[in-house]
Amino acid sequence: MKTFFKLFIANTRQFFRDRMALGFTFAFPVVFMVIFGLVFSGAEEFQYDVGLVNDDASPTGAAVAEAFGQIPIFSVTEGELEDQLEELENGGYRAVLYIPGGIAESIARGEPVDIKLYYDPSQTTSIQIIQPVVREFVNGINQMLTQQPALVRLQEESIQLKELGNIDYLVPGVVAMSIMFLGLFSGLPLIQQREKKILKRLGATPIHRANIIYSQVFLRLLLALTQTAIIIAIAYFLFDVAILGNWLMLLALILLGTLTFVGLGYMVAAFARTEEGAMPVIQLIQFPMLFLSGIFFPVEFLPEFMKPVLNALPLSYLGDGLRQVMVEASPVFSLSTDFLVLGGWLLASLVVSVRFFRWE
Amino acid sequence: MCTETTMNFCNSAGDSCKITGVVITVENLYKTYGAIKAVDGISFHVEAGEVFGMLGPNGAGKTTTTEIIEGLREPDSGSVSVLGMKHGRGSDKIKERIGIQLQAPSLLPLLNVEEVLDLFASFYKRHISVEEVLERVSLTDSRKVLSKNLSGGQQQRLSVAIALINDPEIAFLDEPTTGLDPQARRNLWTVIQEMKNRGKTVFLTTHYMEEAETLCDRLVIIDYGKIIAAGSPRDLIRSNFKESAIQFEMASPPDKESLMAMPGVTQAAIDGTEVSVYSQDIPASMAALLKMAEQDTNGGLLNLHVRQATLEDVFLKLTGRKIRE
Repeated sequence: MKTFFKLFIANTRQFFRDRMALGFTFAFPVVFMVIFGLVFSGAEEFQYDVGLVNDDASPTGAAVAEAFGQIPIFSVTEGELEDQLEELENGGYRAVLYIPGGIAESIARGEPVDIKLYYDPSQTTSIQIIQPVVREFVNGINQMLTQQPALVRLQEESIQLKELGNIDYLVPGVVAMSIMFLGLFSGLPLIQQREKKILKRLGATPIHRANIIYSQVFLRLLLALTQTAIIIAIAYFLFDVAILGNWLMLLALILLGTLTFVGLGYMVAAFARTEEGAMPVIQLIQFPMLFLSGIFFPVEFLPEFMKPVLNALPLSYLGDGLRQVMVEASPVFSLSTDFLVLGGWLLASLVVSVRFFRWE
Repeated sequence: MCTETTMNFCNSAGDSCKITGVVITVENLYKTYGAIKAVDGISFHVEAGEVFGMLGPNGAGKTTTTEIIEGLREPDSGSVSVLGMKHGRGSDKIKERIGIQLQAPSLLPLLNVEEVLDLFASFYKRHISVEEVLERVSLTDSRKVLSKNLSGGQQQRLSVAIALINDPEIAFLDEPTTGLDPQARRNLWTVIQEMKNRGKTVFLTTHYMEEAETLCDRLVIIDYGKIIAAGSPRDLIRSNFKESAIQFEMASPPDKESLMAMPGVTQAAIDGTEVSVYSQDIPASMAALLKMAEQDTNGGLLNLHVRQATLEDVFLKLTGRKIRE
């Protein structure tokens, strides 16, 4: 126990004196969190610039124009038709709405009025959003003018307690990513110490060598908890993302996740002889996981044939578990599956590491 | 010739128990790596309180032999007993009582001197204070320096300090002075001599002849995994040379036969432009050499000097090579 404690103190000292490791462990997730937060927390207030031309002088025209101006996702600017269309062509607007003159008279006569929507078909993404909104808007006006009550209405209700924004989805993702980095890189100190014959030197003393590993793993677990606490604090204080789930479950998931990825990191250390040899292997493991495990965007985006890959990656399960526990996102897998698969990966990596690890 | 048992008796005047008898016995040790016979049938014993040297060129098998004795490697065959114990089950007990300095400094780079020693001290049931060991290797002033920032000599001394921290009965020092400047080397010699004065046993490997000559009570010379000579430095020199050595350089040295034909000359060795002539009659041999030099048109004799034979000469005589080839 004394040996474990002394080695732990020594490891901790060395960790905090290694600026690179320190920056990688703490600064990187913080920077990541802040940048993601700034980019994605504003997404809900996003507006499209849209032009408006009102050639009608009657109160009806003015009412339509005013109602159009109140659509939340549009930032509306009024002007003359010719100028507005030129601006649309120049890319200043995503669309231009044209209200022709004399609509009050037409309505009185019972003739249909053509409100025109000009758009640039090359801007497919924004048009897919703008078109239905404008259609809905025109339907609304029709209903208002004809005074007919709607017979069927759609009532929208989210099944989540709280509306999830992008940022809510990303916080568990950043935690999962940080744990993966922390774990995968935890084999490096071991490789270094083996290369410099430090492991051999420690082995020449009467201590039990397993203490060297235990003390390192213990440090990694504490670092993972600290890292997660920092990310959660930033999410809460800067971007108003609160933890909704069970804290004990969160703790268990972080500890298991860290152990699993530390296990994978040690597996790398078991096979790579040098630090330079280990780096590409780590990259090879971490990059597919970053993009295919759904920690930063929902997995529905991925084509069907990629699904088996997703289902094999431990990060998918850590990310899914963390999302469920942290922000109560809808599960991809059940929480017990998440725990089981992570545990399975941990066991497998331990068996392989113990079998192939060399002290010299 | 030697007993396996180690006896302890306490000196009434001293505060520590001294150990007498044989502390290390090595018998018929073999170790091969692929086709290379790193250790090829080595046997010797080390007595308590002596500085025992293992001398040989790089790659002779010194480190492999040492690490087998330390319990860090397994021999293919042969037996080793340290302080009356065998490695394997008794390993931790042996490790508790010996100090090891590996050839590589093996220091934790981001810990300072004091922290490294404190860490290693905590691994042993019995150890001397960090303060005391710092004093012994003269690192007290560098106690707060991170080990990666130490000079080569300081790193070696720290590495030796780690070997001394558990106040070991036997200290194994594997080429402790390699790569050190003369000053740092002499500092380490003092540390080793002090250990001996305390009644400790020191097992030293080196490829420096003068180091072995100065420090070792007894030594074995090893080449290609075999012991080629054993004894005290003085005995080794005396049994090989009754004569002194005349040394010089010559751009185009004469052949060995003409040197051997000179009066008093018993042995001659030519190594490139360097010539060593061993003579029982220095004035007569010298006269003949100078006469030969007068006829030489290629620059004559350079750096001519006469000296007593050394271990270097013994090695040269036994192997036909210089040790640092």
